[in-house]
Amino acid sequence: MGAIDNAAGVLAAEIGEGGFWEDAYPVIPHPGELIVGIISFAILYLLYKRYVVPRLEAMLAERQRAIEGGIERAEAMQAEAKAALEQYRAQLAEARNEAAQIRDQARAEGQQILEELRVQAQEESARIVARGEEQIAASRQQVVNELRGQVGALAVELAGRVVGESLADDARRQGTVDRFLDDLDGMVGTGHGAVAAEGTR
Amino acid sequence: MTTVVSAAEEFVPPSAPDFWQPLIGDGAFAVTRAMVVMVLVTIGLAVVMMLATRRLAVVPGRGQFRLEGVYGLVRNSIGRDIIGTAHFRPYVPLLFTLFTLILVNNLMGIIPPVQFPTMSRIGFPLALALGVYVVYLVAGVRRRGLGGFLKNLVPSGLPFWVVPVVFVLELVTFLVTRPVTLTLRLFGNMFAGHILLLLFALGGEYLLLHGEGLLKLVSIPAFLMFFLFSAFEILISFLQAYVFILLASVYIAEVYADDH
Amino acid sequence: MEGNLAIIGYGLSAIGPGVGIGLIFAAYVSGVARQPEVRGVLQTIAILGFVLCEQLAIFGIALAFVFSG
Repeated sequence: MGAIDNAAGVLAAEIGEGGFWEDAYPVIPHPGELIVGIISFAILYLLYKRYVVPRLEAMLAERQRAIEGGIERAEAMQAEAKAALEQYRAQLAEARNEAAQIRDQARAEGQQILEELRVQAQEESARIVARGEEQIAASRQQVVNELRGQVGALAVELAGRVVGESLADDARRQGTVDRFLDDLDGMVGTGHGAVAAEGTR
Repeated sequence: MTTVVSAAEEFVPPSAPDFWQPLIGDGAFAVTRAMVVMVLVTIGLAVVMMLATRRLAVVPGRGQFRLEGVYGLVRNSIGRDIIGTAHFRPYVPLLFTLFTLILVNNLMGIIPPVQFPTMSRIGFPLALALGVYVVYLVAGVRRRGLGGFLKNLVPSGLPFWVVPVVFVLELVTFLVTRPVTLTLRLFGNMFAGHILLLLFALGGEYLLLHGEGLLKLVSIPAFLMFFLFSAFEILISFLQAYVFILLASVYIAEVYADDH
Repeated sequence: MEGNLAIIGYGLSAIGPGVGIGLIFAAYVSGVARQPEVRGVLQTIAILGFVLCEQLAIFGIALAFVFSG
């Protein structure tokens, strides 16, 4: 810079007439302009630092907050919607479950009723069959008893007639008849033994 | 411009003395046209910015939207992206001041009632560059201490005999080259751009007034070029403002870069 | 012929930056063409390179005025 200053000085001395600053090299700063430049710059800088930029920053921060708040709110709403959906789904599943359960229960009940009916019917039929058998057995017994009485009387009469002897003595007669019948039973028993034997005893 | 009017017959091309326009007084502390423009721009910017930021809404109006666009460019694309998210905040006012001041001053070179680019007087770019210079030196020394700052100039892992050379080179870069280039770039661009505009305007005027016959018609392309370069100057104005804060933030970012 | 040697010097000093700026923007254009999404990053880098290149031409014009006296 020193050399340039010297050169400028020489140049200014040579020209003289227009004044140093008119003919000075354009790269030599004019002190007054430099000072004004620095002062203007400093004032504007302080103003910006103190007021303009903090205000803008505050606004930007507030906007940031507002946007974040909006996002948060949206997220909350979404979560809520999701929860509602979840709840609805749960309810739906529960209802389905319940319906299935009811269906199962009904089916089981039906089965049970069917089973009960079948058992009842069986019991009934068994009872009817049993009573029939009983009746048959009873009437057979009755017939056997009647027959025994009649056969006894007939046989005695026949024998009395054949033998011609009155069988007055009851006890003896009873014994004879019984013996006869037993023999008869024994004879018959070889053929139709089972039924006859059962009937007699 | 007075030279052209006085020398009616001979064309005098625009040159450096055209930029010396003292309004009051003469000499080292004369009030020049550039000074008046600078002061007016500063006051205008201060008033506009204070009014514009008085009521800031979360949902911006049209004016605020534009202001935010400019502020966002300075703050996010330059400050945050280059200096880094952790450290850029203290430097936003500096960058924003530089950007608006340079941009408006440069545009004053084209806007009709003023038409004088303040930054074509080297004192003003020098003032701004000195501001940046002080800021990045102070930030560097404050972060690492004077010793650490000097030590950090030299990248580690160099052979010992290279260290002094690199140290001197880096020191010169830091202390001289950077502020000088910062100043000269802005000054040179505005100065050369304005000389070019003057050349087309004065040349066209000369051809129109003093040309003979068909030569008068040549003034038409000259004026066309004047308009073309005016448009180009708008681009340059913006680019130079952008570049100035870009470099300022690169220099500041170097303070916070942990390796060299 | 009249003129000034300093202006020739400026012309010479503008050659290098001219070539350099051309290369920088050529690389920028092809970079953006290949990957349009990194435009923002590339733009900053391209302008930074452009500025560092242009610096030489600016030195040239400043020194041309210094030595044109």
